[in-house]
Amino acid sequence: MSNQTDLQIALTAVNKHYGAYHALKNIDLRIAKGSFVALVGPSGCGKSTLLRSMAGLESITSGDLFIAGERMNNVPPRKRDLAMVFQSYALYPHMTVEENLTYSLRIRGVKKAEAKKAAEDVAATTGLSGLMGRYPRELSGGQRQRVAMSRAIIRHPKAFLFDEPLSNLDAALRVHMRKEIRALHDRLGATSVYVTHDQIEAMTMADHVVVMRQGIIEQQGAPLDLYDRPVNRFVAGFIGSPAMNFVPAVAGDDGRSLLLDLGDGQRLALDRPIAAGRPLIAGLRPEHLVIDPTGAGPIRLRVAAVESTGSSSYITTASKPEIVLVTNGRSPVAPGDMITIGIAPQHVHVFDAETEARIEMLTG
Amino acid sequence: MSDVSKHRLMLAIACILAAVYLFPLYWMYVTSLKSGSAMFATPPGLFPVDPQWSVYSYVWESRDMGRYMWNSLVIAAGSVALIVLLGTGCSYVLARYRSRWVDVGLFLILMLQVLPASLLITPIFVGFSQLGLLNTPRTAVIIAIAAKSMPFYVVLVRSTFMSVPMELEEAALVDGNSRVGAFFNIVLPLARNGILVSGILIFMQAFGEFVYSKSMIQNIELQPASVGLNSFMGPNTNEWNNILAFASMYVTPILAIFVLLQRRIVSGLTSGALK
Repeated sequence: MSNQTDLQIALTAVNKHYGAYHALKNIDLRIAKGSFVALVGPSGCGKSTLLRSMAGLESITSGDLFIAGERMNNVPPRKRDLAMVFQSYALYPHMTVEENLTYSLRIRGVKKAEAKKAAEDVAATTGLSGLMGRYPRELSGGQRQRVAMSRAIIRHPKAFLFDEPLSNLDAALRVHMRKEIRALHDRLGATSVYVTHDQIEAMTMADHVVVMRQGIIEQQGAPLDLYDRPVNRFVAGFIGSPAMNFVPAVAGDDGRSLLLDLGDGQRLALDRPIAAGRPLIAGLRPEHLVIDPTGAGPIRLRVAAVESTGSSSYITTASKPEIVLVTNGRSPVAPGDMITIGIAPQHVHVFDAETEARIEMLTG
Repeated sequence: MSDVSKHRLMLAIACILAAVYLFPLYWMYVTSLKSGSAMFATPPGLFPVDPQWSVYSYVWESRDMGRYMWNSLVIAAGSVALIVLLGTGCSYVLARYRSRWVDVGLFLILMLQVLPASLLITPIFVGFSQLGLLNTPRTAVIIAIAAKSMPFYVVLVRSTFMSVPMELEEAALVDGNSRVGAFFNIVLPLARNGILVSGILIFMQAFGEFVYSKSMIQNIELQPASVGLNSFMGPNTNEWNNILAFASMYVTPILAIFVLLQRRIVSGLTSGALK
């Protein structure tokens, strides 16, 4: 990502055990100064544990954790100079908004007037100015979220750690806060680590996405790299919405096509050669599949259901496994119709059926 | 049966049960005000026809009740102080750490609560006399009551601590506080209500404690009101009005505390269950 001096947080070969349970397995992660990193994965994948290890709320069993160049393995949370925004916000219920904001400053012995000034400055930027005397229970969900953010901002920490901060908000506010958090990050020039189970949040907010499963990092990189070139079936299925279609397949005898197992021996052309013999899985993104009006395409299937959101239509086929495709606007297709589906060769992802790893180019 | 009449029936049953339950208390107040002849009248009068208010000042003076009440207060306050000081930390640890040993500890604590005071007093008496604690009998009683009531306090306060989200403490740690600082700044203020209520309940228990005080305090100067009340009664007692006046003066402060704080006590006891 960048050279050693620009690293804000670096983890090398980090492991975490809870008794016999191996929660984090050999985590290597470099977080550059000023970057926005999203840790994403299904629940129980270790993303929150990883974040809490950075904060010092969990100890790591082995490996090294560096923050701004200093080894922090056994340093207590208060000396790590990181700020964290919790899923439940964790506002102190017995303190007013102002007291919540200034708490960290007061602990550090900042003078009262100075702390008050800092709180007012932060509140002005986050739109909390009129709420300084209120208690958390008197605030709406969105306002609480802002207090939690402001409490982190006021300290100018080395990095911000977000633990699913938007999951308690309703959908509309979530989309709004997504932009706001990212704008805040850019304005402050901060370093942020953001845990979420929502791949859309990760894709839209982060510069660098880390996909985790069962304590290991499956893949990390720029959001669109993950979308374009997922290293395995798990990442391919996790990134993108609606999820990628997976169809069992074998290589065609010409070495440049796939025979899909959709009940009818459909043949799909590839832009690259592929080795025959091994069982494969074809990955087809719903948004890359197109209905061929001429009926000459490679895949002919019956439609089982059509769901329309107005802006786009989700068509599900009656095949086994079923195929989902997305078309823009309203679709003339109705359940029961036969449709012909095509896909551009460069959009076909191929995975090994056994190892589930991506197969890039195979000759011979 | 309609809903309204069903509610009325339930209310009537509740009133009758409350009346039965509270009758002895009522009888205590009424009898304390009766004159000698009214006390033994058949059938007994339900209302004091000619209330003898002078009986209260007479009993307070003649029995030196101020001293008894002071001793009760010293013992109750001392027990509460000791329990709150030692039990709060214990409850916190039991609330925050989960392991087999914590479960064992909790089980032992609950077991202690099952044993009655009259059973425990013999080993405690022997032990304390060997340690020389019986030379300071009020202190001995405070320690004994603290040991007896600690489980009750720990169980109550533990559930209070458990209702304080762990994330608040973690937020304080990340904000720059130490574990101890987070306990005093964040957890303790939020658990204050539960601690207060448990403390009051312990106070009321200790204020009325009898078995340990009776067994360990021989010196009448140091005896609490519960023992004083007991020594008032003999095999041939007939001054029931005086005894019940003593009892009234003894329990009224406790009742007053309970009535005044009733709402807080109930909400404190259920704070873990409700959000």
